Amino acid sequence: MSKSNEKMADEKPEVIKVNKWDASVVKNALDDGVKEMLISKRGFEEDYTLIDRRLWICSIAVGVAMFALVWDYLHPFPASRPILIGCVGGYFFLMGVLTLYTTYFEKGTFLVAQERDPAGLDSACRWEASSHMEKFDDMYQLVLTVCDGENQKSRTDSFNRSCGEFIDENGVVCLDLVDSAVDKLVRSLESGKKDS
Amino acid sequence: MMNSMFDDLKRMDKRQVLYQVLSFGMIVSSALMIWKGLMVGTGSESPIVVVLSGSMEPAFHRGDLLFLTNYEQEDIRVGEIVVFKVEGRDIPIVHRVLKVHEQDDGSIKFLTKGDNNSVDDRGLYAPGQNWLAKKDVVGRARGFLPYVGIVTILMNEYPKFKYCVLACLGIYVLIHRE
Repeated sequence: MSKSNEKMADEKPEVIKVNKWDASVVKNALDDGVKEMLISKRGFEEDYTLIDRRLWICSIAVGVAMFALVWDYLHPFPASRPILIGCVGGYFFLMGVLTLYTTYFEKGTFLVAQERDPAGLDSACRWEASSHMEKFDDMYQLVLTVCDGENQKSRTDSFNRSCGEFIDENGVVCLDLVDSAVDKLVRSLESGKKDS
Repeated sequence: MMNSMFDDLKRMDKRQVLYQVLSFGMIVSSALMIWKGLMVGTGSESPIVVVLSGSMEPAFHRGDLLFLTNYEQEDIRVGEIVVFKVEGRDIPIVHRVLKVHEQDDGSIKFLTKGDNNSVDDRGLYAPGQNWLAKKDVVGRARGFLPYVGIVTILMNEYPKFKYCVLACLGIYVLIHRE
């Protein structure tokens, strides 16, 4: 998360203080906390492809719009008609693609990470974390999925807890409480891994 | 609350900042593309205009929003309300067609007058110009919304207000994480 975290491992993580009444801020803060626990504490490597694809779709859409703006400025309206039709059509098509992508592909996933085997023997496991919080509900559901590098099997586990269990009265996210909950999930998935 | 907004921003990494900027860009682009789409759909270079003066009362008042179309096949007939721009000036004028002269080849010259004005528009045309041609037409009025355009008039008369509103909207979008 913050750069000072990664540099000094023994320094206490930066305190995340949020406005506890703002639901989206709370969910984002909890997501950040979980990400912090998985990445810096356990040394998973974050895989950015999912986010990067979304960024690319957005960038291309904005690029198309800017191109239409510049072209129309250089060749005033009636002349620029065909280009404008193409750009408008293209832009809304990309918007549709983006919506489909975020709804069906991403589905609340905020972290994809690789766990590399320190011994270098097994191939990496892919961990995916996604979270969900209903609009006016305080229940925060975290779903953790691990996909084994070797046999490609995936196991899922989740917890559904009130966000009040992780955030104290002042709006400070208690990372140690987040850690213990995430830890339980990770252990249950890892033990399943060793069995199969 | 102000502090918590900036805290959220400080915790964002590179990709999230980029996504916030792109979200802002996409909102601007969506508005732009809708406008260009309307331009293409109606054939007019300014498909939505605001009535700026009271020269068309009681039909249109200052601040009314007008929806225009400008199709090639549409003929300009006496009694229709057209929006036109005088050559060299940027302000669109909304008035009614008074007289129309048609040539054999289909070219038209016409004269306009505001309902609430006592004289025709020859005083508004360029020096030496007595008639308007089809190329001056921005579009014909097809529909209107009363009073909605007052916001546009306010923003043009008080530019600081406009910049203030736009800045606040921009900052809110950039900082707020979805």
